[in-house]
Amino acid sequence: MAVAPKSSAPKSSRVTFIILRHMRRPILVLITVYAVSMVGWTLIPVIDEDGKRSTLSFFHAFYFLTYTVTTTGFGELPSAFTEAQRMWGIVSLYAGVIAWFYALGSIVGLVQNPDFRQAMAERQFAKRVARVTEPFVIVCGYGNTGALLTRGLSEAGMSVVVIDSEDRRIRTAILREYRSEVFGLCADARVPEHLTEAGLLKANCRAVVALTQDEEVNLKIAVTARLLNPAAWVVTQSTSEVYEETLATLGENVHIIDPFQTYAKYLGAIIGSPALHTLNQWLAGTEGATLDHVIEPPHGTWILCGYGRMGRWLHEALELQDIEVVVIEPHPDPARERPAGMIVGRANQANLLKAGIERAAGIVVATDHDSDNLSILLNARALNPEIFCVVRQNKYRNQIVFQAAEADFIMMPSLTGARRMLFLLIAPLLKTLFESLRATEAAPDDRRLAETIGRLEATVGGSQPRIWTVEGGETACAAMRRIVDEGHVVTLDLLLRDPAERTRHLACVPLVLKSGEQVEILPDLGRPVRPGDQILFCGSPQAYRLLDATLHNDYTLRYLITGRDEPRGWVMQWLSRRYGWEESHGPVAEA
Amino acid sequence: MNLEKVIFGFFIVLALTLNFGFFIGDIDNPDHHDVVELFLAIVVNLIATGLKLGDRSHIGAILLATSLVANLQLIGAAVVWAIAVHVSEAGMTPSAMAAIVSLAGGALVANIISVTILVAETLMMRR
Repeated sequence: MAVAPKSSAPKSSRVTFIILRHMRRPILVLITVYAVSMVGWTLIPVIDEDGKRSTLSFFHAFYFLTYTVTTTGFGELPSAFTEAQRMWGIVSLYAGVIAWFYALGSIVGLVQNPDFRQAMAERQFAKRVARVTEPFVIVCGYGNTGALLTRGLSEAGMSVVVIDSEDRRIRTAILREYRSEVFGLCADARVPEHLTEAGLLKANCRAVVALTQDEEVNLKIAVTARLLNPAAWVVTQSTSEVYEETLATLGENVHIIDPFQTYAKYLGAIIGSPALHTLNQWLAGTEGATLDHVIEPPHGTWILCGYGRMGRWLHEALELQDIEVVVIEPHPDPARERPAGMIVGRANQANLLKAGIERAAGIVVATDHDSDNLSILLNARALNPEIFCVVRQNKYRNQIVFQAAEADFIMMPSLTGARRMLFLLIAPLLKTLFESLRATEAAPDDRRLAETIGRLEATVGGSQPRIWTVEGGETACAAMRRIVDEGHVVTLDLLLRDPAERTRHLACVPLVLKSGEQVEILPDLGRPVRPGDQILFCGSPQAYRLLDATLHNDYTLRYLITGRDEPRGWVMQWLSRRYGWEESHGPVAEA
Repeated sequence: MNLEKVIFGFFIVLALTLNFGFFIGDIDNPDHHDVVELFLAIVVNLIATGLKLGDRSHIGAILLATSLVANLQLIGAAVVWAIAVHVSEAGMTPSAMAAIVSLAGGALVANIISVTILVAETLMMRR
């Protein structure tokens, strides 16, 4: 019966094994040369200064070899040599030097051997990953989306392990500056052993994100991760229904994100509910996005250029908003139904005119070629300078050109996809907030949305807020647990006060509170919090730091909850109990 | 006003001032350094350490550590004094005095750190 090798143990022994196998012959040659030379030295007679005959001891023979063979050469020790000794000296020196060159050459050759280097790199990588104690995410595939996601995760303070089969990408991943630890391994993520080296089996492995170009590979990674570590989330992107169906059968904790569908939903949100879109942009920390800056796209007929995988989703999203759409596509898929009024052909001036560009309210340019998109954009502008332009950018490196084109909206599918995954990983409760802000699939719940945005603007404001989740882990909430056990009621209102001045509040809004199975959107500030509750906060970076410090400091938390600075040392505690003194802090606001 | 903070601050600052009073003067001149002042400095430092026991916060731990260092140095100085006067046949020599005062100087640095941390924490609280 064949015995399966243990998954992680052989890695270090493999390196040793390669060294041993490679060095076997050079070591044997060295030993033989030394042995023969030493025996020779002990046999040749020596005549010392007094004329007495003797022979060299093994110790002296080894000493002589040590300094001649390494070409140090102290001279003829311990006494001047006889001619016979000098002859043997020539033989042993040349033999020894050649043996050493051979051995050193083999070592150099081994170090340059690509297999050996890979084994060494894997071993080092596995060791470093094994030392990670914080929660981390494994990202397979460091393309556009992978790089963006890694950046976002590290900004949120999460460690990332990157696997990619391209050496060049791994090198860029390691060279970039990240806020948290980012490890890179150049390996095939389809091999389960590489995933275990990346820490898949560890309890603090939060999620495995499969973002390779090949959907087959993504599926393989998802299945491996699911089977080896059912607690870790699996996040993957897929654009074809066949794979999505297979992935869906893997069960819970598997999240499939279709970047094109996500993108289309975003576009639908821009048109159908600009305010919701603004909120989304703001929460995502998009540069320059503020809550009072809402772009309202015009209503009327829209032109959609490109009807591929993405175009179909966009078409659906636009129709959902009851918008009349004219599609232009040069190579429509014969297997699919064509939308009414579709124009077959390139989106050149003639076809744009045929689609009614002069009267159209907006145009969505969404082919998968950046140069095509830009030229269509310029054409459309020339024909109708007022038109609202949404353009799809495929490659991140074309950023400057797209910015120069000054479209009303530039959207990158990889960016929207990466953002969605990031939110899923660092703020899973955010999805429930957005669901609650939508009255129907197409239209937002206006009253609720206005209330949310109003509250966020009044409390947090500015741009680039921070979103974080407070989770009731054992250690994280130790201080709160002690206070609750003493019979105090901890409310959100008290928790969010400024530790420096208790009458003020932090610039921070609790968005979602999850207590057991019960989920509350925009919870009331008077609501009591129990240790173990999951709370999603949105606030200024300073509020994040202060709240984090408060939750880890017994005294500050106690001060916020009770309004009293408890005596800290044992002596003071005893004195205050004995004499029962009370201190006052001036005005303390009513809870 | 918080009575605990008053007592706490009083002892920490007094520990520093007494320590400084003993330290100042020519390093090897026994006339410039009073044994009573060393005794008081040790007592007040021990009380300050006692007040710091039991604080679970991070700053409390650092304060306790600096206090322990100051105690160690001052008690070391007292031991050297006792040996010089009662055990050694030479009596209080300038070199023994210099050793005592330099130990007290080390304790002074620890006490300065204590007071700096105290001031920093107070400023951070702003209340």
